Amino acid sequence: MKIGIYFCNCGSNIADKISSAAVAEAAGSFPEQTYFKTVDFICSEDGRLQFEESLKTELPDRVIVAACSPRDHEATFRRCLANAGLNPYLLQMVNIREQIAWVTEDPEVATAKAIRAIRGALYRVRLQQPLEKKELEVCPDALVIGAGPSGMKAAMALAEAGRSVVLVERTPMIGGLPVRFEELFPDLECAPCMLEPLMGELLHGDHAGKIELMTMSEVIEVTGFYGNFIARIRQLPRHVSLHECIGCGECAAACPAVTMNGFNNGASERKAIDFAFTGVLPNAPFLMEDVCVRSRGEECRACKDACPMGEDVVDLEQVEQIVERRIGAIILATGTGLYDASRVTGMGFGTFPDVYDALQFERLLSSTGPTAGEFLTRAGNVPSSLAIIHCVGSLDNDHKPYCSGICCQYAFKFNHLISARHPDTAITHYHRELVLPGKTAHTLFRHADRNANTSLKRYSSIDDLAVTLADDGRLQVSANGEDNVADMVVLCPAVIPAEGTGRLSALLDVGCDSSGFFRELHGRMDAAQSAIKGIYLAGSCQEPMDIQKAILQGMATAGYTLAGLQPGRTLEIEPINAEVDETRCAGCRLCISVCPYRAISFDSGHNASSVNAVLCHGCGTCVAACPAGAITGHHFTNDQIMAEIEGVLK
Amino acid sequence: MPDKPKLAIYWAASCGGCEIAVVNLHEKILDVDAALDLMFCPCLMDTKRKDIEALPDRAIAVTLFNGALRTEENLEMARLLRRKSQVMVAFGSCAKGGCIPALANFSTREDLFRSIYLDNPSVENPDAIIPCGTTSFPEGDIHLPALLGRVKHLAQEVDVDYYIPGCPPESHQIWNVIEVILSGDLPPKGSTIGCGTLTVCDDCDRTKEDKRIPAFRRNYEFYPDPKACLLEQGLLCMGIATRSGCGAPCTKANMPCSGCYGAPDGISDQGAKMVAALGSVMDIGDTVGLSEAEISGRVSAFLSTIPDYAGLFYKYTLASSTLGGKVGR
Repeated sequence: MKIGIYFCNCGSNIADKISSAAVAEAAGSFPEQTYFKTVDFICSEDGRLQFEESLKTELPDRVIVAACSPRDHEATFRRCLANAGLNPYLLQMVNIREQIAWVTEDPEVATAKAIRAIRGALYRVRLQQPLEKKELEVCPDALVIGAGPSGMKAAMALAEAGRSVVLVERTPMIGGLPVRFEELFPDLECAPCMLEPLMGELLHGDHAGKIELMTMSEVIEVTGFYGNFIARIRQLPRHVSLHECIGCGECAAACPAVTMNGFNNGASERKAIDFAFTGVLPNAPFLMEDVCVRSRGEECRACKDACPMGEDVVDLEQVEQIVERRIGAIILATGTGLYDASRVTGMGFGTFPDVYDALQFERLLSSTGPTAGEFLTRAGNVPSSLAIIHCVGSLDNDHKPYCSGICCQYAFKFNHLISARHPDTAITHYHRELVLPGKTAHTLFRHADRNANTSLKRYSSIDDLAVTLADDGRLQVSANGEDNVADMVVLCPAVIPAEGTGRLSALLDVGCDSSGFFRELHGRMDAAQSAIKGIYLAGSCQEPMDIQKAILQGMATAGYTLAGLQPGRTLEIEPINAEVDETRCAGCRLCISVCPYRAISFDSGHNASSVNAVLCHGCGTCVAACPAGAITGHHFTNDQIMAEIEGVLK
Repeated sequence: MPDKPKLAIYWAASCGGCEIAVVNLHEKILDVDAALDLMFCPCLMDTKRKDIEALPDRAIAVTLFNGALRTEENLEMARLLRRKSQVMVAFGSCAKGGCIPALANFSTREDLFRSIYLDNPSVENPDAIIPCGTTSFPEGDIHLPALLGRVKHLAQEVDVDYYIPGCPPESHQIWNVIEVILSGDLPPKGSTIGCGTLTVCDDCDRTKEDKRIPAFRRNYEFYPDPKACLLEQGLLCMGIATRSGCGAPCTKANMPCSGCYGAPDGISDQGAKMVAALGSVMDIGDTVGLSEAEISGRVSAFLSTIPDYAGLFYKYTLASSTLGGKVGR
C-alpha cells in the first residue's frame, strides 16, 4: 500500500518545533511504502494546488496530512483528495500544530511526539475505507405546531419562500397568548393591533394560499424522519367553515344555548356557537358540541338558519377528521402556560375570588375581556389598593428553580395600566428579585418607581408571604411581619410549558428538560433546534421568553428549514455514521436509549436494531455501548482506533 | 477392535463441574465411548501421568483441558498434554479465561497463604506452617506443587486449538462439539466452538424494551417479573455482554446471567464492555444545573450498589482481561 505523508511547516508555527527532516527520516522506516513531502502552507491556494498535483502524480492509496487541527482544515484537504480523484475518506490528518508544536517546549521532544503521532495515523489510515455520501429525496415543506407569534412568524416566512406549510393549532384561534392581552411591554403597544398585520397576512395575504391552517387540531402521530415525515393530524369539528364564514355573528345571536366562556376565565357568557372573544382571528365562531342543545337530543338548527351566507357555512353534522400530511421539517411552537398558583401555599389563589393570576388579570384588563377592560373587585368596587406578587413559584426550588424572565416586565406594565385607569389605587409589588434585562425593560420600571402610589417590597422566601382575609373581610398581604390591605391581588406565577408539551415530546421523541420545556440541541449555538434532525423549536416551548425573542426564534426555525431542505435538491447523508450488523445483534435494545438523536429503532422483524443514517450524527455512543460489538462506527472502527494506538505506542 | 481416536479430559485448577457436564451427556456418553477411546480423566479413571508420558507425541486425538493454571503441576500437565495431543481444547471458562480461580489475581501468593493458613479464624495453626515446595518430615520429604505467581488461562502457556466456553459448558453443546470432531470437519484454529455467535439476549425470551436503569437491585431485594428483561428491572444481568449458546438457563430460572460464556467474538474484554454498556444506560436523572461534585456524587451513589466489581464484571475472564488483576504478569 502506497501512503503519501504531507508535512506542513505552517510557516514557523510547526517548523520551529518539529523537524520535517527528522520526521522524513523516521518515515523511511515505517512499514508500507511511503513518500514524504514538506509543504510550507498546505492550506494556502498554492499549497492546495501543489498538494492536488502531487496526489495526481503519486496516486497514493492513502494520504496523511500532518498539519493543524482537523477542525481547521480536514474538509479542505478532503476536497483536495476529491479534486485529485481520490476518495476523500482515505485521508487522515495529524494535528501536529495545536497538539504538539504549540504545547511542547523542547523541539526534540516535539519531533519525537510528531513521529509517534504520524506513525499512529499510518497504522490507522491503512485500515480506512473509501466511504460514499448517500443522497435522499426530500420534501421541502413544513409542519408548524402552534399558531402563536413564533409559529405564525415561521409559517409566514416559509410561505413567503414558496414552501407549503401545515399550521396546526389546538385552539379555535390564532395569535397565541398575547393576542388575548390588552397592551404589551415595553411600549404598551396594543397586542391584537401589533399582531394583526402578521395574522392578516397569514389568513388572507399574498402567500396565504401556501398555508393550510388547521384550528382545533392536534398532531397525533409522526412517522419518518428529517426530509420525509408523515404527520397524522386530528381535526375536531368546528362546525363552521373557515373559508366561507364572514364572521357576522348572526349564528351566535340566534343560538339558544349559553355557557361560561373559558377564554374569559369563565367570567363572561358565550353561546354554544360563538367567537372565543371579540375580534378573534380567524373571524369565525366555533360550536361547542357539549353545550349545543343537540347534544341533549333536541332538534335545533337556529344557527344554520340564521347564517346569511348559505346552507354550507354551518355544518352541524361535521365529525372529527384525521388527515395525513407529508412534510420535511417540523417546527414546534407550542408556547407556554402559567404554573398553577394554588400549588404555592399562602397565596389564596383559588380560595379568594379577588386573587388573580397574570393571565386572568390580562383578560380583566383587555377591552375584549369579560368586563371590557374595566377591572373591579368582585364586590364591584374600584380597588383602593392592589398587590402584585412576583416570583410565585419561580426561582424557588420547591416549585420551579428558574427565573421566568418576563414577569417583572409585565408586572410593571400592569402597574402602568392600573395607574392610568385608577391613579389613586395604591400598588405594592412584592418581589424576590427584579429582572429587567435589555435596553427597554427599564422604562416601565422607572414609571412605577417614580409613582408615589407604588411601593416595592422585597421578600426573601415566598414562605414569608401570606395572602389572608383581614377582620373586615378585605384581603391583606403579610410580608416580613407587616400587614398591608389589598383589595385585589395579582400573582405572577412561573411560566411553564404549555399543556400537551409532554405528549408531543413522547410522540416525537424530542426530549424535555427537567422543567418540562423542549430540550434544545445546544443552549447557545443551537437553541432553535431539538436533538432530532428536522425538528425545530420556536418560541417559549423552549424556555420562557418574551414576544421579541419568540418571533426571532420563529424566524430562526424558518431559516433552518429553508437552508436544510431545498426543492429539487437532495439531502446529503454523511457516511461517518453507525451501522448495526444484523447478524451480530441479539436485540437487547440497549443502543436505542443511548442514542441522543433517536436515530436507532428496533426492527422486530429481524429482531435487531437499525440506525437511520439520516438522523445519525456519527457520535459513536452506541458503538461504545453495544455490548455485543454489533455496531460499527464507520471511519472510527474499533480496529482503526486500536491500530492508531498501537502505532503511537510502537 | 480398531484403534479409536484417543480422548483425554484433564482438570487443572477447577471444581469438577466440567466433568459433571460431560457425564450429563447421559446415554450419549455411550456414543462418545463408541467413537472415542476416553483414556485419561483423573476425575473418573485411574490412568496416571506416567501413562501419558509414555505415549508418543500427538498420540491423543483430542484433549479437553479444563481448569485454570494455578500450580506448577497444572502448567506441567498442560505442556505435557499439549505435546501428546493433536487437538488441544480449552474446555470451560477456567481454561478459557481463568474464571473463579483467576479472581485470586487480586492477591499475591503470600497474601493468599496468610488468609488461608494464618489469619483464617477457623484454622488452628500454632506453628504457622504454610505449604511450600518441599517439607521435611521424619518419615521423609514430601513435595507439593508450588503456586504460580498468578493464575493463567491455558492459552497463556500452551498453543490452544479451540475454546469451549461455559461454567460449565452446557452438555448439549459438548455433544455438538463431539459431533463436529467426529465429522472431521473442524473449524478454523482458534475458534470458540460449542456456542452461538450472538449474546445471551438471543437465547433469552424475555421481553426487551428500551433501557434506562434507575437503580441497580439485587436478587434478594425483590422477586423479578418473569417476563421482563432482568437488566431493565435493575438486576445486573451480564447476558447483554455474554456469548449465546447456553440457552439462557439462568434467566429462565429468574436469575441474572453471570456471564460464564464470556464475551462474543470481536469483544476483547467482557468486563470493560459491560461497564461501557451499563454506563450508557444508568439513569442518574437530569443533571442540568448540577455541580460536577453533585453529578459525581450521584454516579458514586449509583455505583455503590454494585458490591463487587471484579466478581461481577470479571468472574469468568479476569486472566484474559486487558487489566488482568493486581498481581504482575
